[in-house]
Amino acid sequence: MIGTSSARGGKIPSCRDRMATVFGTLKTCRHVESLGALRRLAMMLTAVLWCAAAVAADWPEFLGPRGRGAAMDSAIRTRWSEAEGIAWKADLPGRGASSPIVVGDLVVVTASSGVRQDQLHIVAFDKASGRTVWHRRFWATGRTLVHPTSAVAAGTPASDGKRIVALFSSCDLFCVDLAGRLLWQRNLAVEHPRSGNDSGMGSSPRIVDGTAVVQIDCQGDAFALGVDAASGEDRWVVPREKVASWSSPLPLTTPEHGACVLLQGPHGLKLHRVADGTTVWSWKGECSAIPMATESGSMVHVPSDGIASVAPKGGDATPAWKSTKLSCGIASPLAWGDSIACINRAGVLGIGDVADGRLRGQVRLAGSFWASPILVGATIIAASKEGKTFLVSTEGAPKIIAENELPGTFTATPAVADGNVYLRSETTLWKVATP
Amino acid sequence: MRAKVWCVLAIVATASTRPSVSAAEPPQNVDEAVAISVELAKASGPRGQATLAAQADRIAAIPAEWIVPCLAAVADATPAGGNWLRSGIERAVDRTGDSLSADTLAAVVADRKQPARVRTLAFGWLKDRDPSRADGMLEGMVDDPALDLRREAVEKQLMAAATVNEAAQKATHRKCLAAARDIDQIERIAAWLSEHGEKVNIAEVLGFVRNWRVSEAFDNARGVGFAKAYPPEASLPSPPETAQWKAVASADKHGAIDFNASIATKKGVLAYAVADVVMPRGGPAEVRIGSPCAISVWVNGRPVMSHEIYHASEAIDQYVAAAEFREGTNTVMVKCCQNEQTEPWAVDWEFRLRVCDPLGTPLATEALGNDK
Repeated sequence: MIGTSSARGGKIPSCRDRMATVFGTLKTCRHVESLGALRRLAMMLTAVLWCAAAVAADWPEFLGPRGRGAAMDSAIRTRWSEAEGIAWKADLPGRGASSPIVVGDLVVVTASSGVRQDQLHIVAFDKASGRTVWHRRFWATGRTLVHPTSAVAAGTPASDGKRIVALFSSCDLFCVDLAGRLLWQRNLAVEHPRSGNDSGMGSSPRIVDGTAVVQIDCQGDAFALGVDAASGEDRWVVPREKVASWSSPLPLTTPEHGACVLLQGPHGLKLHRVADGTTVWSWKGECSAIPMATESGSMVHVPSDGIASVAPKGGDATPAWKSTKLSCGIASPLAWGDSIACINRAGVLGIGDVADGRLRGQVRLAGSFWASPILVGATIIAASKEGKTFLVSTEGAPKIIAENELPGTFTATPAVADGNVYLRSETTLWKVATP
Repeated sequence: MRAKVWCVLAIVATASTRPSVSAAEPPQNVDEAVAISVELAKASGPRGQATLAAQADRIAAIPAEWIVPCLAAVADATPAGGNWLRSGIERAVDRTGDSLSADTLAAVVADRKQPARVRTLAFGWLKDRDPSRADGMLEGMVDDPALDLRREAVEKQLMAAATVNEAAQKATHRKCLAAARDIDQIERIAAWLSEHGEKVNIAEVLGFVRNWRVSEAFDNARGVGFAKAYPPEASLPSPPETAQWKAVASADKHGAIDFNASIATKKGVLAYAVADVVMPRGGPAEVRIGSPCAISVWVNGRPVMSHEIYHASEAIDQYVAAAEFREGTNTVMVKCCQNEQTEPWAVDWEFRLRVCDPLGTPLATEALGNDK
């Protein structure tokens, strides 16, 4: 069992911590009369309600709650293999690089199948038993060519606790409820005929404040779309630079603008207000096309030529720091407390100081890493494409504390819920038992 | 008071996270069910989808014997409509289980007048209920118009051939080579035949046009040339004539016309290629082209397709568009634009083109003598 003690710099604040912050603010608010303050309070309350809706144990989207890569859990099993420590495994109906999500009693996975990869699947498994609860299939309505290393089911679905949205490389966006009923669909390649990327699209959708946000970055019709998660109708659409990227929207809440999403392209960042899509901040600079930015301490840490740390406000384009010693390959960086971690193209995990980018230590893992690292308690989980999952202690110098191997090719980022780790290979979903 | 309000809000938020349970009223009769299916099949656009979801719920509640009549609406479905209908019908299939009989499904699979998507769905459900019956139906399906069924039928024949003598195996592989339409399957069969002494020309089997006339290079710095009509294009719809054409015959197994080899390895340039293809009969056909570069295609001077995409893929049949051909000789012109990316994987400046029916059967015969 690992992860019971605090990591250096502390853990990601739990739901309870966030609630405490808000109730502290409520107390202060007795003396606040301005509408602006009330608006901010309302936004914070919304965040708390969101927190309550997406139950603490859920892993509702790419990189977990709010896309930060940190599990609410504090302990997971340290040893597992095909023969040991597996609660259940389930065959998948097709390929995919998308991560599983955990919503209530369901583990939901997307996949694509067929010679032309034009059969799209959303499958819900019973979290306790691994039994298939429902399985929805759809025809792709857009292009389904992808690079052999990716899949049409590359984007991870997202849930607000009531519904699930899934975006495929064919630019098909489906919304189903927790019983598997199709609530709405958007065939974005039909609506925008030159959207898509024959290398494969990889962006994951988000649901923020009742708006499903998708980022369609490609050389053709590139755009970002905010869709009413209840009805499937447009709330806003903004054009994007016609250049490919595989980044996903990152939810950010700012005191000035409330709920926003950060969109990363190869030539910069844009922060959009979720309510109406308005661009409230932008930054020009070279960004990686695949690993996406993360956020901590009101700073955005952007994979670039290394990592650049930028404040998402004002007009100052100068990063607070840049580090080439912290470098991301394909996996996105992970930030928590006063730390930031990256896995570079050589499979070396580096951990640095999030305040100045100074490298504190590094450890060589084996293999290539398409899946992004995630954090449980004080331990980083890093799953290699070749099937080895490394558990790395972040206390002191980074140190591998366990290596667990499963058969298959793993490009999906793991999920964690209730002390269980969910690993998705090309063909199989594995649930690692609790300690 | 304030605390009470927060509590109520929190309770409402928590309650609203529970999944909704629908109790859809099923259609009164099969005619109503079919009418709902036809309406679902017409769906398009983002508005009014709550109504469609409710109608799909009603289709999900139909009895097993109405499933096939409702499924027929897929034939004229819009992209969205097909998925609305499928979502409702598959829920009905899941709910009714074995009440949907194997006989009913086998009849749908056997009816080649039904749309390929309908027959493929029916075949999958038949497989779930009676795998051996489904497997048996594949016997006569190597020429099936439903490509997924044809693929399975070819695969079954190849598997069966593994147990017979080499002469019979060769005969089966030759038959399967003629029947197969999926590139990977064709290449696998061709490789087996080659290993057993029968050389197969893949480019010929797939029908790639291999004899072209290639122009000189024109400027495409910063992509300016993609929308610019250089002399070969400016002379359309008349047959393009310049003194700079050079005959190029592809020896590539996928019929690639490589401008780096025929002109020079350059960046920020474009070139045209022209071929005469002979069609056995006039009418519509599919132009299928793959290229890592931005391309435009004309047939007999008429524009067919245009894609300003650089180095995303080089898949065979990457872009497919219908064009009208005449019986006999037709002129196909391709404009192939290279950009200025410097990555090692962005060097290729080439395309591969074939003319097929909608199943991927090559239609054009090779027209030689392109060195005008």
